[in-house]
Amino acid sequence: MNEIIKVEHLTKDYGEGHGIFDLNFSIKKGEVFGYVGTNGSGKTTTIRHLMGFLQPTSGTCSIMGFECWKDAPKTKQFVSYVPGEIAFPDLRTGTEFLKAQAELLGLKDMERANYLCQKLQLDTSANLKRMSKGMKQKTAIVAAFMADKEILLLDEPTTGLDPLMRETFLELIMEEKERGKTIFMSSHMFNELEDTCDRVALIHNGKIIDIANLGDIDNMPTKTYKIEFENKDDYAKFRRLKYEILQVQPEYNQVVVKIDNEQINKLLASLAHYKMKYIAEIKYSLEEHFKEALKKDKEKGNV
Amino acid sequence: MFSKALFKQSMKAHWVKWVTVTVATCVMLAIVIIVLGSLSINDIRDSLKNIFVQADQESELKEQSIDGYELYLTTVDMYKMLDTESGQLVLGVINNITNEYAGRLAELQGQGDVTDEQVQALRSEIAQKYTESFATMLPDISSDYINMFLMSILTHYDEASSSGSVDTTQLLQNAYLDLVYNMAYETYLAKEDATEDMALQSAQGAKDTAQTAISKYQELGADADYSALALDYMNDYIYNSVYDMQIDAGLTEDEALQYAVITKVISNTAITTYQFWLSEDPDITKEQARLNSTQSISDQMPEKVAEALTELGNMDMYGLIIGSIFYRIAGLLLPMVFVIMTANSLLAGQVDSGSMAYVLSTPTKRRTVAVTQMVYLLASLFAMFALLTIVSVIAVFISGGNNFAINYGEILLFNLGAFLTMFAIAGFCYMCSSIFNRTKYSLGIGGGITIFSLVCTILGLFGSSVVPSAMRIEPMNFFNYLSVITLFDTTEILNGSLDFLWKFGILAVIGIVTFIIGVFRFDKKDLPL
Repeated sequence: MNEIIKVEHLTKDYGEGHGIFDLNFSIKKGEVFGYVGTNGSGKTTTIRHLMGFLQPTSGTCSIMGFECWKDAPKTKQFVSYVPGEIAFPDLRTGTEFLKAQAELLGLKDMERANYLCQKLQLDTSANLKRMSKGMKQKTAIVAAFMADKEILLLDEPTTGLDPLMRETFLELIMEEKERGKTIFMSSHMFNELEDTCDRVALIHNGKIIDIANLGDIDNMPTKTYKIEFENKDDYAKFRRLKYEILQVQPEYNQVVVKIDNEQINKLLASLAHYKMKYIAEIKYSLEEHFKEALKKDKEKGNV
Repeated sequence: MFSKALFKQSMKAHWVKWVTVTVATCVMLAIVIIVLGSLSINDIRDSLKNIFVQADQESELKEQSIDGYELYLTTVDMYKMLDTESGQLVLGVINNITNEYAGRLAELQGQGDVTDEQVQALRSEIAQKYTESFATMLPDISSDYINMFLMSILTHYDEASSSGSVDTTQLLQNAYLDLVYNMAYETYLAKEDATEDMALQSAQGAKDTAQTAISKYQELGADADYSALALDYMNDYIYNSVYDMQIDAGLTEDEALQYAVITKVISNTAITTYQFWLSEDPDITKEQARLNSTQSISDQMPEKVAEALTELGNMDMYGLIIGSIFYRIAGLLLPMVFVIMTANSLLAGQVDSGSMAYVLSTPTKRRTVAVTQMVYLLASLFAMFALLTIVSVIAVFISGGNNFAINYGEILLFNLGAFLTMFAIAGFCYMCSSIFNRTKYSLGIGGGITIFSLVCTILGLFGSSVVPSAMRIEPMNFFNYLSVITLFDTTEILNGSLDFLWKFGILAVIGIVTFIIGVFRFDKKDLPL
């Protein structure tokens, strides 16, 4: 049972181009899977299918071998869920809500819940209706994480959290990952996915454009550097060397070069002859990767 | 199939609403029943009834007065006629008849002893023989009465001849008085609720009147003002007889006097009105004049108004207020509000807000959620009506138990009917809550149609038979066909007809079907959570 979550040809057609179309991916045990896309691209629809709330038009998705629609109650044994839109049942306080949720889960031990509250600095005795957006989000996170299930389905879990709390939350995700959880997390923010995920899928207009392996992106065989020289001479001389130059800005004496990782020493040796202002690596980010992927997809579409 | 945790959650979310609605409805019901029990609202109805009874009695008194007056004058007229030539002719005919009878009787007696039956048979034979010729002379009088008249002449002839002196005029007078007596007796008996005693009394009164008229005529001759005399006589007669009657009935002299004066005034008015009609309008028949003078209040009113007032008198205020107004409208409103709000927030509300996601992210099945919420809705409704039933039974007990206008059986059926109505409505609201993902649709359709039903019942009330026709607007009964509450028929329960049972059955079926649809639909649909 290596593939914890499996999505095959999953399609939900709402008409007029809305919906999700022919999604295929699978998530392995212990993996943190990011799901990124603009608003309305189909992230939540995908997660609702995984939760068994929606019936696919065609295709299937399954969790631990159980079909998400037909065997929804069975899949829930393994899954905890943080909904994208937070609305609590008609109860008075956070404590009351967590207790009711524990009862529905058949959960007796509240130790994990207490730990999570502490970690997220959440006062559960507050009135549910008067909670701030961030507090609600934290309460929802605690409600999902306290059951300590194998799979976490998180729909934009960091919305409403302040930057510090977001850090804490990402720490929590890493902690859960170390404890062997499989995590599916949607977001429209690349950087937080970059920091936590093993793989990230890009969904656009209901179709998966690309699935990126973050390990591959970090360890690209080539790197790009931006170099600025003190004077025009050095700049001109450097340009005559046989490096792959992507971009120049003569007025600032700047060049952007792309070289294989093995050639880094050779480059440094060459640069030793010139007076530089600075040298900086231009990081190849997930965002750029997906921008390229989107561009390619568009071109493909145009052809 | 059932989740205790979810049930508890629903209870926590709705108990305030439940307590408020239940207490308010119970208090309302208790007040309605106890207040109606202590005030006797049927007093109004009873007094209204009395007016009509009195009016009828008054009308009868007037008729009697005019009849007496007419009898007086007719008798005088007859005597006047006897003094004329045609009167002598009549006397001659009667003389012939008695002579024939005497001859035939003597013939029989010559053959041996004559039995009473033989005498009777002879009288009938002769009376029969002459009836027809008299009948052509007196077309106004039925041949039965003429026959009776002739028979009585013959009877009196026998009496007179045994005492020695036979006077034809006297014979005629005696037979006439007999006839008056018999006619009055029979006329009285033909009336509604006539008693033998009263008929005899009335007959005697008529005979007395005729007798008085004869003696007055014999005293004063043909030229006296008999109209005035007849009026005076009737006034005195009514006055005296009412006075005697009231004294006999145990009233004091003063009270009896009061009654006697009032009746005398009424009688006087009737007769003078009658005289007025006859003198004013030469074309009017006596019948018409009599009718005009004896009308009671209800006769004088337009037929519709009279009908309406009679109906008002017969209206059951308790049945109307407790059954049609409380149990079908006022008492249903708050439970309806509870059901509409609760049914919506049990499913659609939670789907719309998204909070349903928490329940469904646990291993709880959708079916379990739907069934649990249905059980909660039914249990809360059942508990509400159980309390309402207890309160209503206690209130009826305080108001006099089975002596109260609405007895225990009826009040229990009212509660059952109201519960079944709410059961059907709850099923419908629950179904809407299950079908729609948006509160606005679930509330709009479930709640909208429910409130529409209630409003139709309110409007329909003005066209239904429980409202007296004076206030009823028949076309508004149309609204009753648009409301499910029409299937809860309190009038039929009060009437003791069993038709309400199949309507209860329909309500139960509506509830069961809609609940089942609701439960199954929730299993199959897409949830935007």
